[in-house]
Amino acid sequence: MKEQILEVLKAHFGSGESPITDDTHLMDDLGGDEFDIVDVFMQLEEKLNISIPEEETFDVMTVSQLIEVVGKHVQSD
Amino acid sequence: MFSQIKLVLFFVMLMGAGGGLWYVQHLKSENEILTLNNAKLEGAVQEQQALIEQQLRDIETQQNINKQISENNAKLNKDLNLANEKFNKVNASGERRDIGALAVAKPKSIQRIEGRREQQRVRCFEIAQGSPLTEEEFNATKKSQINAECTNIANPNYVPY
Repeated sequence: MKEQILEVLKAHFGSGESPITDDTHLMDDLGGDEFDIVDVFMQLEEKLNISIPEEETFDVMTVSQLIEVVGKHVQSD
Repeated sequence: MFSQIKLVLFFVMLMGAGGGLWYVQHLKSENEILTLNNAKLEGAVQEQQALIEQQLRDIETQQNINKQISENNAKLNKDLNLANEKFNKVNASGERRDIGALAVAKPKSIQRIEGRREQQRVRCFEIAQGSPLTEEEFNATKKSQINAECTNIANPNYVPY
């Protein structure tokens, strides 16, 4: 699952100079905006065939938070 | 006989003088009418000239308005393109983001973001009207810390990357 998340992030934000790690910030390090985060969640929902309540995505800012939220639904779905 | 001729000549002269007098009176009368007509025509010419001048001024005003509308249109198009680039930007894979589709699929998220942006816009007006920057605004150097609506005035230490 983590690999798939990283694939989506790389496809969306580009590979960049430094590798994407758990601590990577979606806005500060990858240059995204709030709409990008919503977009990434939509792409992940489609790719992993899951559905994530919007409220759970509101405060996601780092890759580790993203993995945590998506992980809950991949395991439970 | 001779006196009869004199009488006829007298009447002829009298009629000639009368005719001459009538002719002069008629000319005077016509001259007065022509003078009045001329005055009317001159008045009409002046009115026409004033009207033409007014029309020229109106045309100039209309041209200025058209110019302003063109400039406003150009500015609006520029703003629209900027907004389009901002909201529907292209990702690293070359796919264009569709903000409308996002809003339909994730309305709460988009509404929340727009609510925050609206607060930032209000803050932009406050700063533009002289409100001092907060320490947080002044020291913001990361994208997640900035006011995205007016970074240039709200976050002087932020360098886009």
